[in-house]
Amino acid sequence: MAEARKSMIKFKPKKFKVGDVIKVDFIVIHPMETGTRKDKKTGKIKPAKYIDSITFSLDGKPFTSMKVWETVSTNPYFSVNMKVPGKGKITVDYTDNTGEKNSKSKKLKPKG
Amino acid sequence: MERRNFIKSICAATAVAAVASPSALLAKDAPKGGNVLTYDAAVVAITGGKAVTDSDKVKLTVPEIAENGAVVPVKINVESPMTDADYVKAIHILTTKNGNARSADIMLTPMNAKGYFATRIKLAGTQDVVALVELSDGSFLRAAKPVKVTIGGCG
Amino acid sequence: MMKRNGILFTGKKVLLSLAFLSTISMLQLNAGEQFAMSDADRAMYKEMLENNPAEIYVEEGGEIFEESLGGEEALAKFLEVSEKDLPKYIAGFPRYIKKLGNVVGIDQVIQAMQVEQGKEKTKLKSGKMFSMLAYVKSLANDELVNIDVEADEHIKASYELGKITYMTARGGRGLSCNSCHSADIVGLVLRTQPLPDLGEVAVAGTWPAYRMTKSSLRTPQRRFQGCMNNALLKVIPIGSKEMIALEVYIATLAKEKNKKIAIPGLKR
Repeated sequence: MAEARKSMIKFKPKKFKVGDVIKVDFIVIHPMETGTRKDKKTGKIKPAKYIDSITFSLDGKPFTSMKVWETVSTNPYFSVNMKVPGKGKITVDYTDNTGEKNSKSKKLKPKG
Repeated sequence: MERRNFIKSICAATAVAAVASPSALLAKDAPKGGNVLTYDAAVVAITGGKAVTDSDKVKLTVPEIAENGAVVPVKINVESPMTDADYVKAIHILTTKNGNARSADIMLTPMNAKGYFATRIKLAGTQDVVALVELSDGSFLRAAKPVKVTIGGCG
Repeated sequence: MMKRNGILFTGKKVLLSLAFLSTISMLQLNAGEQFAMSDADRAMYKEMLENNPAEIYVEEGGEIFEESLGGEEALAKFLEVSEKDLPKYIAGFPRYIKKLGNVVGIDQVIQAMQVEQGKEKTKLKSGKMFSMLAYVKSLANDELVNIDVEADEHIKASYELGKITYMTARGGRGLSCNSCHSADIVGLVLRTQPLPDLGEVAVAGTWPAYRMTKSSLRTPQRRFQGCMNNALLKVIPIGSKEMIALEVYIATLAKEKNKKIAIPGLKR
């Protein structure tokens, strides 16, 4: 019954044309728990919970993928480039080691 | 006298360390449950033992001193035409002293247009960050940089 | 070094303060260069600001503020200013708000709005309030910190109280905020971190901020509490008269250096 995870997709620059190479940034709120830290209150080890794979797609077609480990920072940030082919929708699908699946989308709206 | 107590308790929390003190992320302290993989083993797992060439085509940007080991920015730019015939197939970010030497792998395609990737990783202590790059022709390039991690501060 | 000690040789609890200062001076004056940020590093950290996880919390705070309280329109109405003047007005907090009869912070204004609208009051020390506080303060981004401590007798009194709170040596080690953040001490390294000038780093302009060591959004008052804890000073409660007064005083430090509001910040 988990709430959808909070995340953000940003394009840089905000305004771009077809054919431009832009930066696609993705930030997500996720504990990226290593599985080696103790809970100060209970003394028990906090179980590992970290994003382990990410896929960037344009209109359903993947163009970048990642494998991620618990050594990536909490509330991680990932940044790649992309040549804008035209209008479309960018989707970031990500799963974590516990099997939790999430998705975030943003419309790609080139001007001209 | 009071003096010695000052140094110890000005900031009551953790110990003063200019160089990293052991943390649960270092291999020798990792309790059961954490992924453990040494840097050398990780390189073999990725390259299959193939030759790796240090190359300045791989521009690795990391801070000289990381204000905080939990959030260390890493940026990689590989010179590449990024065409179907010649592109950066993957960039693997590794560290030399973390218990798990792997941080993130990115698999690129020509649509990315640039051999670029940036993220933020955890560093258990002062060590090298390594970018291991796989090109579409199957060859491997590498760049490495040391990062000093200071553990301290108040509050 | 001697001169510095000489200046401190005024007032009580001197022996302890002296020992503290000469200790850090001796041990870490040279370490300053070793831990100073290079220009390249500074550029990297500046880039990180553009992708601050706290932005997600600020966005969330905005959604809650909009949906449950009516957003900027309702806020401007509550504060009796025009929407156009709202950003500049927010950049002048903490303020004396007549209908609340007190000098208050933005979070207390949000609570007052909740009470006025018959909604459930959100605790000051809660993630929900931190997000809303950060959102509302971010409406003032790019405005100069413009707190006016001469505006009325209440804010004036709060400023005086804030100054006293900042300067009073207390706790087991006889330390005050000024012990570590005064003009002659800033720059010295304590526990690998150079002590900051609170005006120069624009505490009032850049907090609430994402703290990398806590992987979360933190408010200035909470940061003060963390610092008090470490300096062995009894922690002052969030939203209390003294804590708000401290924010008032620290806001004047940023104002003196012409600092702007830039929320959310990014800190160690």
